[in-house]
Amino acid sequence: MKDQKILVVDDEKNIRLSLSQALAPLGWPVETAVNGEEALGKLDDQSILLIILDLRMPGMDGIEVLRRVSELRPDIRVIIVTAYGTVERAVEAMKLGAVDLIQKPFSPEQIRDLTQQVLARDQLNEDKAADYQTHLELAKKAVGERNFKGALSHAQKAIALDPYRAEAFNLVGCLHEVLHQREDAIKNYRMAYEADPSYAPARENLDRLTSHGGRGPISWESAGKQRKDDK
Amino acid sequence: MKVIIVGGGKVVYFLAKVFISKGYQPVIIDQDKDECLWLSQELKAVVLNGDGSRPVLLEEAGAREAIAVLAVTPRDQDNLVVCQLASKMFEVERTLALVNDPENQEVFHRLGVSVAFSTTHIMATLIEQQAGLEEVVNLLPVAQGKMTVTEVLLHQGLPSVGRSMQELDMPSGSLIGAIIRGDKVTVPRGPDRLQDGDRLLLISTPESYGPALRCLMGKEV
Amino acid sequence: MGICRQTTKRRQVNRVMAKSLFIVVVGCGRLGSLLANGLSGQGHSVVVIDRRAEAFDDLSAEFSGFKVVGDAVESETLRKARAADADCLIAAAEEDNVNLMVAQVAKDVFQVKWVIARVAEPARELAYRQLNIETVSPTSLAGDYVLRSLAQDK
Repeated sequence: MKDQKILVVDDEKNIRLSLSQALAPLGWPVETAVNGEEALGKLDDQSILLIILDLRMPGMDGIEVLRRVSELRPDIRVIIVTAYGTVERAVEAMKLGAVDLIQKPFSPEQIRDLTQQVLARDQLNEDKAADYQTHLELAKKAVGERNFKGALSHAQKAIALDPYRAEAFNLVGCLHEVLHQREDAIKNYRMAYEADPSYAPARENLDRLTSHGGRGPISWESAGKQRKDDK
Repeated sequence: MKVIIVGGGKVVYFLAKVFISKGYQPVIIDQDKDECLWLSQELKAVVLNGDGSRPVLLEEAGAREAIAVLAVTPRDQDNLVVCQLASKMFEVERTLALVNDPENQEVFHRLGVSVAFSTTHIMATLIEQQAGLEEVVNLLPVAQGKMTVTEVLLHQGLPSVGRSMQELDMPSGSLIGAIIRGDKVTVPRGPDRLQDGDRLLLISTPESYGPALRCLMGKEV
Repeated sequence: MGICRQTTKRRQVNRVMAKSLFIVVVGCGRLGSLLANGLSGQGHSVVVIDRRAEAFDDLSAEFSGFKVVGDAVESETLRKARAADADCLIAAAEEDNVNLMVAQVAKDVFQVKWVIARVAEPARELAYRQLNIETVSPTSLAGDYVLRSLAQDK
């Protein structure tokens, strides 16, 4: 058994169970909390290494919990659990240093992989960074440290290494949003979408920024069909 | 010629009437007992009471000799099963289904239904065509209203019809992003000429919106 | 480098859990909840769908899967349940037609390899076997059982 812990925060019992069981093979002891208040009460525990946090909970909202965690224990890494199709709060979470999101329902392998990926980041060596994935990981590490400019620089290095992949463009887009550079954000989401139209986050982000009042995206292909009731 | 209609309500009543007037013999299968009574009094048609997605009932309705089966219940799953049973078990050639979730239109085609129609889709298309009759349709304000995308329909007699992009002299802060001609969409270049019936995608700032429209239509709309 | 070591380890961990399947159960009625509880208890990753949130009350306290509220005949609901990633989908709703439709959509649209549908009416079941949908009919099972035990008693 390792001496550091993972804290799972979710109001739903089945999700707490599911996460605890999925994480068990990794060897870190898992603690659980049923709401934000209980989770914050456990922050004095210095051995907490990572929090897996559901954004939607009754009582204290997940983002509020994240805000407190980032004030009280900026060293803790946080993985955000979201419901299907909710991307709008990703930028809010990123401002608070949380860059890793997982959508429900997820498989045990997915949460294990993500957990290991997040925890491996701290050991990454900047000097030896040479490939796309490492730069991307370094960018995410920098977000965890609220170093958004540094994150931008690493993500751009990743893009330079492989401009045909969507993930780094999408991350750059999110970072621009965090830095209130809306136009640049849209540009990068568009690049991400063009690099890989099947990469869902880029499409969702693009839709979110370019649609108006929930009326859906402006899409050139279907511009003739988009006319409807919006007069 | 026998046609089987599975469903209920006024839709079934009027559908059956249309078929009768055209010389078909409709057979109705309806779950609602009272409605069945009413339908059999009102129509010269065979009306069966029961679940049309049960093979027994389809057989009783004469599915073997039917030329078509229509499933118009408010439940997509029932409409699909009715059509599939009709074609797989009774070799009915044409099956038609109403789909409530528009996404199921494509799903039904994939699963072998000959015609799947979605009222949502049909209504949306109608509204769309209606909207197309007007000259200007405001599409979307974008970037917090700093830009507007507008669709403009051109007809004979407007000052811009017959002129090329170069000759148009659109005000700064505006741009014709696309010409929609029939079902073809082009991004216009200098020598391209506008035609009667073209639909334009006009992109403009709020300030140049009026001048741009004047340039195209000769008036402010 | 850190990442490489982690990858090997990750593979080992996943191999230990390799027998765990991702299973979508449609309908959380008597059969659906029984299956969801049982499969979750066996260590599989389970997503259960039902139109009514109250239906999930029948899940056991040990159920460790996901719950999705929605009508499974709408593709959007199946997407929410990540049906495209499922190893197996069991259509166990109360209505035969829901199961028959969902099973086909899962197979043809979401490309789920292994699909089972509960069909109560034997005549319908027969028709759908021909469509390569694996069906289970509680009615036929019970009927066969009774007939067999009667035959043995003779």
